[in-house]
Amino acid sequence: MNCQALDPLVTPYIDNELGASDRAAVDAHLRACPPCHSRVAAERAVQSLMRTHHDALHAECAPGDLRAKCRELARVTAPDSRLPTPATWRSRLTPLALAASLVLVVGGAFLYQATAVSARVMAAELAADHVKCFAMNRALGTRQTLTAVESSLASGFGWRAHLPQDTGSANLELVGERPCLYGEGKIAHIMYRQGDRPVSLFMLPDTTRTEELVEVLGHEAKIWCLGNRTFVLLTRGSKQDVERLAAAVRTELR
Amino acid sequence: MSRAKGLQGVSPAFEGEALAALDSLYRAALRVTRSPADAEDLVQDTYLKAFRAVDSFKPGTNLRAWLFTILHNTARNRARDRARNTVDANSTLVDEAADIAPASGTAETPETLLLRNTLAPDLQAALDALPEAFRQAVWLRDVEEFSYAEIAEMLAIPPGTVMSRISRGRRMLYKALHRSPVGATHE
Repeated sequence: MNCQALDPLVTPYIDNELGASDRAAVDAHLRACPPCHSRVAAERAVQSLMRTHHDALHAECAPGDLRAKCRELARVTAPDSRLPTPATWRSRLTPLALAASLVLVVGGAFLYQATAVSARVMAAELAADHVKCFAMNRALGTRQTLTAVESSLASGFGWRAHLPQDTGSANLELVGERPCLYGEGKIAHIMYRQGDRPVSLFMLPDTTRTEELVEVLGHEAKIWCLGNRTFVLLTRGSKQDVERLAAAVRTELR
Repeated sequence: MSRAKGLQGVSPAFEGEALAALDSLYRAALRVTRSPADAEDLVQDTYLKAFRAVDSFKPGTNLRAWLFTILHNTARNRARDRARNTVDANSTLVDEAADIAPASGTAETPETLLLRNTLAPDLQAALDALPEAFRQAVWLRDVEEFSYAEIAEMLAIPPGTVMSRISRGRRMLYKALHRSPVGATHE
């Protein structure tokens, strides 16, 4: 065995995953080759070190509220039997890759329709996005101007939006905009603050829905339609409060 | 992992088993994103996708590995969406760029010294400083103890590449730990 032939066997050799004959061949080469011997010694030292500190590396826990959020997702997410399993590296390496990506696209389209069935499921997913996007925004501390948001909505969604202004009756302060993925489709997520309270306005293109107010994940979601767009205003607060806020946004939104 | 027809949400058994992997997924997400807020976001997306796709999970196979695969797929797709130029963070380019010489193995720095003097925070810091592709491979193998085949599936690379990334990752760690002064302070 030469050094080149040894190379792919080093990791399984150190991890004790080699068969007896391969192991014997590696042992023989290492006895005869000091550079390979020291390479293997170094890698083995690190593997032992990882093992020694395994419990410490494994001790970090997820935050408690993340567990609560994920548990809530389990309760409100509608399983979809038409979804494909995650693509594997094998499928990407074969001519089937194209077929696999077509399946994903079709799966996405089905999912979009499936989740369209229940307003509560849609609202739950938007509430999860609302929480995620604001958490990320807090961490990054970004803020966009009204002009920047409106031009991003125009280029991203072909929507020449006139958003509620800071000076409007709802007293909303614009935070920014993110294109979110919902049901594998792209939707606009416009983030506001009203005082300390985060408020999200979602715009789902090419979607129509009946108007309603849905309570989910500790939030109220007000759903309405304008033309072929569905809007969802989502925040914490009482039903009357959220209805009032939504009504104010609707009059200003064009 | 069946659920009653017409019921919303996944079965309590599936939910329980899936959430048992939460801490592991969060740690892996931290290694991928390097930011607690992004890690939480990634974990939530992973569960959302897993609960939607629950029917495509084959009972009797490794649920933890399935969840890790979804997590890494999601992370890859996001990276692709955010910056098309950095799509190849996982490609062989990285492997080649990081092709460092093996440790010299001189008498002054025997491996036993490394073992005795490296503390867990030193190791964690060195791990977090590794390029992403190597960090993930070493982490999934040595901390989460997945098989090469399972890691290959998660990272969407052939098993041979998994082994070579683990090998190079370990060598880079060795080098890094030798360079940093023993007992250096940590935040």
